Amino acid sequence: MKQNYKKSWFVKIIFVVSLFVILFITGVTYKHISELSKTQQEVIQTYKLNVELEQILSYLKDAETGQRGFIITQDSLYLEPFFKSRSKINNTFAELKALTKKNSKHQQSLKDLNGLIEARLHNFEVASKMALRDQTDVEKFKQVFFEGKAYMDAIRKKLNGMLALENNLLAERKESYENTIKFTPIFLYGLIILTLVLLYIAYAKISSDLDKLRKTNQQLETFKEATNQAEIINKHGSWRWNVEDDKFYFSDNLYRLLGEKPNAFKATIANFNSYVHPEDRKKLEEQVAQMKIEKDLPFINYRVVHKNGNIKYLKAYGKSISNLEGKEQLIGTTTDITDEIDYANTLETRNKELELNNKELQAFNYVASHDLQEPLRKIQTFLSRLEDKESDNFSESGKKYMERINFSAKRMRNLIDDLLQFSRTNKSDEILVVKDLNELLEDAKQELSEIITKENAIITADILPKVKVIPFQIEQLFTNLLSNSLKYKAIDKRPQIKISYELVAKNNDFRLKNGTHKKYHCFVFKDNGIGFDAQYTEKIFELFSRLHNKNEYSGTGIGLSICKKITDNHSGFIFANGTPNQGANFTVFLPA
Amino acid sequence: MAKDYTHIILADDDEDDRLFFTDAFDELKITTKVSTYNDGAYLMEYLLSEDAVIPEILFLDLNMPRKSGKECLHEIKANSRFKNMVIAIYSTSASEEDIEDTFVKGANIYIKKPDSFKKLKKILNNVVTTNWQYQANGLNKNNFLLRL
Repeated sequence: MKQNYKKSWFVKIIFVVSLFVILFITGVTYKHISELSKTQQEVIQTYKLNVELEQILSYLKDAETGQRGFIITQDSLYLEPFFKSRSKINNTFAELKALTKKNSKHQQSLKDLNGLIEARLHNFEVASKMALRDQTDVEKFKQVFFEGKAYMDAIRKKLNGMLALENNLLAERKESYENTIKFTPIFLYGLIILTLVLLYIAYAKISSDLDKLRKTNQQLETFKEATNQAEIINKHGSWRWNVEDDKFYFSDNLYRLLGEKPNAFKATIANFNSYVHPEDRKKLEEQVAQMKIEKDLPFINYRVVHKNGNIKYLKAYGKSISNLEGKEQLIGTTTDITDEIDYANTLETRNKELELNNKELQAFNYVASHDLQEPLRKIQTFLSRLEDKESDNFSESGKKYMERINFSAKRMRNLIDDLLQFSRTNKSDEILVVKDLNELLEDAKQELSEIITKENAIITADILPKVKVIPFQIEQLFTNLLSNSLKYKAIDKRPQIKISYELVAKNNDFRLKNGTHKKYHCFVFKDNGIGFDAQYTEKIFELFSRLHNKNEYSGTGIGLSICKKITDNHSGFIFANGTPNQGANFTVFLPA
Repeated sequence: MAKDYTHIILADDDEDDRLFFTDAFDELKITTKVSTYNDGAYLMEYLLSEDAVIPEILFLDLNMPRKSGKECLHEIKANSRFKNMVIAIYSTSASEEDIEDTFVKGANIYIKKPDSFKKLKKILNNVVTTNWQYQANGLNKNNFLLRL
């Protein structure tokens, strides 16, 4: 925008400069024209002067001719031109005086001329009187007549002098005028060209600005359309409110949000309010009133009722700004959040269902842990009593049946215990604490002390670190891994379990490619047991998956699933590796 | 109060468990006097009566009708009259919550009902012969659950 303002200054400057150039040209032209007319005036004046001077001479000649006629004929008729010429010469003289009033030389000459003419005319009179008395042949008359001729010659000379002076002046003026106007046409022509160039630049500028304006307008149009589309797809509408003249503008989609076609009604607050849910109307009105005062307000949620009775949830935000003319304007956006609200409601319902499910699961846990265990425990206790007290009374097959019942009961107990353990291995309400894993390993060994002693197992371990864990779960993990190794020991070998530890970077182990931490604690539990086939490395962690017949090994198929669940809870990983008849190793990664 | 034998009370609503319990003590070579109560309400009724003989050890089942073991534990611990009585929780379940809860409320030991009579005898023998005055000092959450 700022750049455009600058550009408009540029055009203004060009126009001002052009204006000055044109004014200058006008001034120069005017000056030249007035000079020209002055010169012309002077030329005319020169000619007039010539004419008048000739006239004087001619009048004098008339007078002379008349005088000579009178002298010869004595007829006064011939004196007529003489008398007339007298007044005519006076008139002409007055003209000449007026014409030459600015020229002192001419004035002086005129004075001289006047004296000469007076003298000549006087001479005429003297000669005429003498002719009247018929003294034409006397010496005096001849002298008078001769004087007349001398006067006449002097007058001619004077007149010629004046004419020559005037012609000189004319020549001088002509020269100076020519000098003045010699460069004028080129200069004017140049100025006009310059003006034209400037005007062309201004024109080009204006036209390119117009072009830009057109493009900007087009972009604005595109933008407007994009905004319209965005409003439709995002389910929002916008509005403007000129506070001073109380005029509203609603965008097309704002009408759609109200279930109407664009411009279906006049954009006024009253019309809008008629769509607002009656319970929310007051709240909205208060908010709008507040908006005028505070300029910037938090979101407001309200409902609108469409004509077909649909209720939609809207969220609005508005801000007061001043437009270019400094008028207060409220600009706002309103969006349809019905889907969000519906979604939130659905989520809430789902959450409640989940909570209910969880409660049922807990109830099941309780039933399993308490109610199922109780009869089982009693069966086992009564069995043990039977064995103690009555075994002597049993037949061999009876004793065998007892043994089978006992075995099944034990197995059922293991299953219930493990299932419970599995369902309790949840993360949600457990808190991670920094714990020395050496202690947890010791606890696990303690838990299994009976079987460790029985199997004469050798368990060696590196020094383990302190890690942020859910302690009882990690203890459970260690217990399950150790117990697994002891359970699937090789028949002919003394069980040996080696626990090694190292800190690894995520990038250094491809198995950590899905990890979210940079470093992991890596624990490897390596045994010399029966191992397993490589194809079972994934399956081994599935719930109830067992690789062996339950008569051979006592596993429930839950222990390693619990291990997997525990490492998952810690955002860690567990991997199994085995070679049949040589041993298995389990690798546990916990985030460092 | 005659000190010839140890007074023991069991509150348990399960008839079989009461039977195992008394049978076990019958077979143990300890001089004990065992009384049993069918639920928490009967137990508290007796304990709070004027002429009650306060037992050395009370075995308390948790899941009982009318008044649960936890309620009994709460009431007993609130009454200084029973401050020297050892309380052993004697329950089928050994859930973390129950163990935690009863430990915090001041029970002395948590026994998970065993699944053989032999183990039961061993456990009861162990509990009765423990010097609880000495044991109380070293009591912590880790040895609260009895392991044999």
